[in-house]
Amino acid sequence: MHPDAGEPNAADPNSVEPNSTWPGVHDLGGAHGWGRVPYESDEPPFHAAWERRVFGLLGAVTAASAQRPGEFRYALERLHPDDYFDHGYYGRWLAGFELLLAEYGVISPDEMASALNRGANRELQHRSSPIGRAAPTFARDPALLPPDVPVPPPQHRGVRRDLAPEPRFAVGDRVAAPAAPQPGHTRLPAYVVDKPGTVVKLHPAEVLPDSTAHDLGERPQHVYCVGYDAQTLWGDNAEPNTSVYVDLYECYLNPTDGAG
Amino acid sequence: MHDDHGHGHPHHDLDASSPEIRVEALEDLLVEKGLADRARIDATIQRYEHDIGPMIGAELVAEAWADPALASRLLADADGVVAELGIRGAEIQHIEVKANTPGVHNVVVCTLCSCYPWALLGLPPNWYKSPEYRARVVREPRAVLAEMGLELDPSTEVRIWDSSSETRFLVLPERPAGTDGWPVERLAELVTRDSMIGVARAADPAGE
Repeated sequence: MHPDAGEPNAADPNSVEPNSTWPGVHDLGGAHGWGRVPYESDEPPFHAAWERRVFGLLGAVTAASAQRPGEFRYALERLHPDDYFDHGYYGRWLAGFELLLAEYGVISPDEMASALNRGANRELQHRSSPIGRAAPTFARDPALLPPDVPVPPPQHRGVRRDLAPEPRFAVGDRVAAPAAPQPGHTRLPAYVVDKPGTVVKLHPAEVLPDSTAHDLGERPQHVYCVGYDAQTLWGDNAEPNTSVYVDLYECYLNPTDGAG
Repeated sequence: MHDDHGHGHPHHDLDASSPEIRVEALEDLLVEKGLADRARIDATIQRYEHDIGPMIGAELVAEAWADPALASRLLADADGVVAELGIRGAEIQHIEVKANTPGVHNVVVCTLCSCYPWALLGLPPNWYKSPEYRARVVREPRAVLAEMGLELDPSTEVRIWDSSSETRFLVLPERPAGTDGWPVERLAELVTRDSMIGVARAADPAGE
């Protein structure tokens, strides 16, 4: 279980790095200030040739670097907000590729700079690479993660695991998730923190991305679909007759008797 | 061939911060190091532009419309049905299908990332990955859907599914009236990608 202590240690310099604090810019659910959805019905999968190339490189990049569940996502979450947002989804993938390949020692920033300068007739202007402005991986304290109890190796490649211990919660139980006890990768969206919800279903157990993304073992967890009434999440401004369902790992949750 | 790759065409209007330039440099370096193969990159792109797309999910939905027993199984155990039909691929380790009814409308989002059932719907559209959709659809779904052209009756219950774990969601849209006796292939033409995300209804058979 995550302990109840909700605040990261302010004396730890690792906890005050820009973008390494939780939640980060990627945690967008319910955020104010965003306008009209750029909706285009029947959109093609790619809008530019460069987006195709970025997508096509995913397999090669992950084979040479991030292979653990959550690791590539955590790289995107550590990007500077400009690198996260400026060129959309494939723009952030590209910046994440550069970051991971540098961190794994596959392509250094110097090599990338030389390759960028290699082509003739290019007017290259200085621009800090996404690597220089990304937050480092947060050095997580494994003691703040649930214990790593080994499970039989799965018959498949994937994140699902057969978990012997009985689930702690059942359908109908009231639960609430406190804020994550330390910065780093998590699948707990900020908008449900401390809000009471109801378990509506159990999903198959999965490895815990909060641990695998940080190379701290699989620590598989039961996963619950938790339903929240919109009024509980957003108060009196909530739209009527609306619920939001979020999938949460067992170690995020505590029992609660909170109404809502 | 990677005819869209841009080699030999100097990008006079681009600087080193442009993704066009950076991905070209990165691809060149990976190929030089033997870590990437241009033919394989091209094949991956081709697969997701032509073979893996919403037509896979549309056929599944049309089959379910045509066969109520299959629809029931799909809602109870989508993994079983997907495996039985031989659908394989990325981002479908665990699938849940949510049925729209006259009283309930389901919508899928991933607020933390842009998770999406690739093997059933192909790659997600830009709007699904946009910060606008990710931020707003959990807080004001009716307003967002109305902007996107879908007006819901106030009595309709709205359920938003945030793909925060490795479970992926697919919406089973309502079968349009006036399609009795249609073969599966014709039904599938009414099933749009957006209707399987939950931001649109299935297409109007009159407009087919």
